[in-house]
Amino acid sequence: MRYLDKPIKEINDLLKEKKIKPIDLVNEAFDSIEKNKNLNAYITLNKEEAIKRAKELEDVDADNILFGLPIAVKDNMMTEGLRTTAASGILKDFVPIYDAAVVEKIKEANMIIVGKTNMDEFAMGSSSRTSYFGAPKNPWNNDKISGGSSGGSATTVASGDVLFALGSDTGGSIRQPSSYCGLVGMKPTYGTVSRWGLIAFASSLDQIGPMTKNVYNNALILNLISGHDSRDLTSSKKEKEDYTRLIGKDISGMKVAVPNYFMSDIVSDEVKEKIEDTLKILEKAGVQIDRVDMKYLDNAVNLYQIIAMGEASSNLARFDGIRYGSSVDDTTNIYELYTKTRAKYFGEEVKRRIMVGSYLLSGENAKIYYNKALSIRDDIKKEFDRIFKEYDFVIGPTTVTTAYNLDDPMDDPSKSFMDDVLVIPVNMAGLPGLNIPVGLSKEKMPIGMHIIGNRFEEAKMYQLASFLEKEINFEGGM
Amino acid sequence: MKDKLTKEEVLHVADLARIEVTEEEIEKYQVQLKQLLNDVEKVNDVVGYDDEIMVAPWDDNTTLREDVSGEMLDPKKVVENAPNHTGNYIAVPVVIGENESEGA
Repeated sequence: MRYLDKPIKEINDLLKEKKIKPIDLVNEAFDSIEKNKNLNAYITLNKEEAIKRAKELEDVDADNILFGLPIAVKDNMMTEGLRTTAASGILKDFVPIYDAAVVEKIKEANMIIVGKTNMDEFAMGSSSRTSYFGAPKNPWNNDKISGGSSGGSATTVASGDVLFALGSDTGGSIRQPSSYCGLVGMKPTYGTVSRWGLIAFASSLDQIGPMTKNVYNNALILNLISGHDSRDLTSSKKEKEDYTRLIGKDISGMKVAVPNYFMSDIVSDEVKEKIEDTLKILEKAGVQIDRVDMKYLDNAVNLYQIIAMGEASSNLARFDGIRYGSSVDDTTNIYELYTKTRAKYFGEEVKRRIMVGSYLLSGENAKIYYNKALSIRDDIKKEFDRIFKEYDFVIGPTTVTTAYNLDDPMDDPSKSFMDDVLVIPVNMAGLPGLNIPVGLSKEKMPIGMHIIGNRFEEAKMYQLASFLEKEINFEGGM
Repeated sequence: MKDKLTKEEVLHVADLARIEVTEEEIEKYQVQLKQLLNDVEKVNDVVGYDDEIMVAPWDDNTTLREDVSGEMLDPKKVVENAPNHTGNYIAVPVVIGENESEGA
């Protein structure tokens, strides 16, 4: 048995007692990454530096539970001296000169970064197939997508290379690949994790969060990466808390709302059945389950299109071929430098979204579309507020189907948005959302349940998720 | 509702986005961009919401920084990260002059 397959507390004890060294764990991780190379989970590996760091740590005490453990980081988070591409041609050779806030925290805890994971270009997509470096594959079935945009992070954790990966979630990009790959994936409340050094896609929606095989490990990473950061003006000043504190506690008496829209015809029968089975498990444990109607959920994708594309067009204006990143030669004026650089180095999906976003924010359109979207967005939040006055959680499936084939057509520009129809409302309202695997389809592909909590109630979400984890015992599946 | 944008409309949005498009791409975007615009058009059918807006989902700590200088990146490293640089300067093509752009 590999050390990395042991419970995290045991690994920590072995490190403390100096029975194993960080290098043993790093070697195990890279052996596995090498074995799974065909899954294309990584854009850049950090092997040399990781080995060096592991050796340096041999003289350091294992003073925290995450000490010496390997972790993978999505390639849209800045890592000083380590190439960071956001899976785009425009950053294919970009080496940052500073660390993202989350990367600083990983380093302070003496965790070891093994590499930068594959993703959709600038996190725009739902299958990681828009990556400049080719799509990652689903470890459960290599002909399937691992989802997106944090597809590489999902792939590497699901295949057992590492215990943890960081993802980012603008419209489901942590939860959806976690669902497709059978992982626990948490998108925290907006403002919980600093976005400093995260390459911005849609700033009012983006959040970083952990992807792991179990609930406890997930909460440990959230403990590490959460907390106020003055460099991110949207960072919450709430005091730090221990997200593991409610894990394993009794869940009887909790109240769950299941919006009818989340269990409507848009969801496949197989997924619905598994979710219904899981709701029965909760009911048996004394949880009250009510079906509710919620307004505006069916409008969330269209609002997201306006807000996310609008914000993206503004955020990606910085890629001008001048300050950093790729650039074309031989242009005669600045306009040509912009237009030719962006034409050559942005991919299809990104170009489409920037063009539509620029249009939606231009002149009168800002009033017709953008302001209206912000107004309905406010009402989605109020709708969730109304439900959370009475209920602890809103629950449904994370995705409408299980992971689809890598070679399914990509010619429908609306598809990548519709894949996230069930997870997007959470980003609109800034709420925390978690995927917990609850079973397998007939094709032996993972199905996930989506637990939505009220703002800053992640600990309670982990409590509910840990109950299901124990009851369903999913990990034995693969 | 027409099912594609005109060529001029595509060229207009491409100009706004500062992305050069080829003839072949224009044809593709006439259909694809229109599809996305048809999607977002659906917000105009939504009724019943109030006038309040939410720009971003945080309300507890809208803050501005104190106006004091803090840490900054090493200017030398910043300049070196630019694709074209000379000494302490980032090099750019002509901004104002005889080859000035028609679109800029």
